[in-house]
Amino acid sequence: MSRFKELLHDVLPGASRGRAQDGAAQAEPAHLPPPRGGGLGHMLSGLVVAGASLLVVLGLVTTSVTSAKGRLTHQGEKERPAVATAQEAEVAYCTSDFKTVLERVLHSCGLSTQTDRRGCKPSDIKTFAAINDQDFNSLFHPLKERGGVLMFDEGSDVLDEEGQKLLEERWFERKGARYFFVVARASKTGTAAQNRALSHRRANSVMFFLQKISGETEEELNQRVGLLWLGNEYAQLSGEYCQWPRSRREAECAEEPINRSAFVSWVDCRL
Amino acid sequence: MNRERIFAWIGVAGALWGLVFAGISTLDYASHLDRGLHDLHCSFIPGAEASVSGEGCRTALNSPYSALFKQELWGGIPISLFALGCFCFLLGYALTIVSSGNRTSRAAGALYAALAISPLLVSIVMFSISWFELGTICKTCAGIYLASLALGVSGVGVLVNTWPRRAEGGAGSLGLAVAVLLGMLLWVLAPSAVYAALAPDHAPFVTQCGQIKIPKESHGALLSMPGGAARKNAIFFEDPLCPTCKSLHERLSQAGVLRRLNVELALFPLDSECNWMLDQPLHPGACKVSKAILCAKSPAEMLDWAYAEQAELSAAGKSGGKALEQLISTRWGPQVTRCMEDRATLQRLNRHLHFAAGNAIAVSTPQIFIEGQRLCDEDIDMGLMFALRTLAPELVQ
Repeated sequence: MSRFKELLHDVLPGASRGRAQDGAAQAEPAHLPPPRGGGLGHMLSGLVVAGASLLVVLGLVTTSVTSAKGRLTHQGEKERPAVATAQEAEVAYCTSDFKTVLERVLHSCGLSTQTDRRGCKPSDIKTFAAINDQDFNSLFHPLKERGGVLMFDEGSDVLDEEGQKLLEERWFERKGARYFFVVARASKTGTAAQNRALSHRRANSVMFFLQKISGETEEELNQRVGLLWLGNEYAQLSGEYCQWPRSRREAECAEEPINRSAFVSWVDCRL
Repeated sequence: MNRERIFAWIGVAGALWGLVFAGISTLDYASHLDRGLHDLHCSFIPGAEASVSGEGCRTALNSPYSALFKQELWGGIPISLFALGCFCFLLGYALTIVSSGNRTSRAAGALYAALAISPLLVSIVMFSISWFELGTICKTCAGIYLASLALGVSGVGVLVNTWPRRAEGGAGSLGLAVAVLLGMLLWVLAPSAVYAALAPDHAPFVTQCGQIKIPKESHGALLSMPGGAARKNAIFFEDPLCPTCKSLHERLSQAGVLRRLNVELALFPLDSECNWMLDQPLHPGACKVSKAILCAKSPAEMLDWAYAEQAELSAAGKSGGKALEQLISTRWGPQVTRCMEDRATLQRLNRHLHFAAGNAIAVSTPQIFIEGQRLCDEDIDMGLMFALRTLAPELVQ
């Protein structure tokens, strides 16, 4: 018996005929049938099945990996799905008209980083807004709930406690807005020059208070807050604006006092 | 039909069953080599429709236990490949016993038993990991476990029935046993070798996902989480109620990567209550939990807690009302819930969101930047360790 066959006799299933059988005969129970030949054949059939199944597996692995590799290589040719990116808020009132004015304010009133100017005087606004008073005011209508009107005493630029509270509330309701607008006004009482100066001081009062509470640096505020002071020659508010959120809710309100004010609001538009 | 043949047939059935499930698992795994997100065939029924969630299979697939050599090869070599080779070999061996019937010697039976039981031992280990570590059982894996069990039963049955046939051993039988073992080793390793040889190189893709635009939040609003053995700086944008964030956080922690990072955490709750970038809340309650984290004495500790209790917190967030606040208050005290209402807290969270907007990150979480380099979304799951090794080898050594 060859060495190879001896090995088969020792280990493989169905190969127990011969030497192993002789030796094991006494140990095996009498009821077991005598072993038969064909061990090599059985082993080969098992080996063939194992080999064939391995080939199938290798084929599957090869196909799946090369297929993925192909998709990876050609992924640049396909359009990648659009992914939303984080950005500041943009809401429905950001119409093109609104954005036009907003952009002009940004470039003319010191918000733009390219300019060192801070705020806009009435003569500028007439030029850059390029729209009449009513249209200018109506641009801000969508901000009715988002903003607030800070009321001042006649001839005064002192922001009272109620005004401070409203300003603070509005400031901290920033959400996704990038720009904060302050539109200061003065009533028609007094000369145009006086009112222009008063309006300017009111805008500055708001700005000073923001510097106090905002936690922002002056530079950050300059890039975020658009200041407009309108005097009394442009965009005066009508009495209906008394219905807007305002300080001094209990005080009497009419066309005269509502223009002794500063309208403040975050603006949820991107440019 | 004699009993050993019956047990051998059980082995054949187990090997075939195992081949099917290991094959499905391998194909699912390999499909992800294109860096895409694919459905998974996570079912006890072979050929059942694939699903995106894949239930426990997705968890298993992304776990560090699903593959070997994950640092060296993107996604590593899935262990199902080893199972495939093993089942192929055992299929052949079981069929040999079937065909030889009652002429199988004790030595052959014992060798078959040893080999047939080996997948069961591996399956027991994998089942324990799955159950105790991952907290889920993937159905495809369960199919492999059942196949291994069948093979184990087959092995024991064949051994018991061939045991009376004692044969003299010798150098030859030992040699052949070694040859069989080597054969099995060859079969087990062959699919992995082919897979590794053909797998695409992902290194060029890892660094192509951009850089952070604004590396510093100007008000210092972000949460600082210094690692114990920090070697690199990172910015994480995370949502405490985001399951992927939880999974990533846990894997980074387990791999010791968090220890090697100085993390600046920007909270990015995908909840429209505070996040204007969403129309609807994806993770209701995430804004509240984020505010709680900002109020915590140890934000890292609270973040870990939020991830650990994510299911409960998410359910409370969905239910609305004060359930979420109560959970937070019970664990961290009423001072935290008071602080959550504070205007400064809201402003700080808002600054986190504006920081995200300033950097124009994708509205999805998590987003990871290591030394300013963005970790691609495609590398956050299977390819995490490979990507980390490529971007910052110090983090995985």
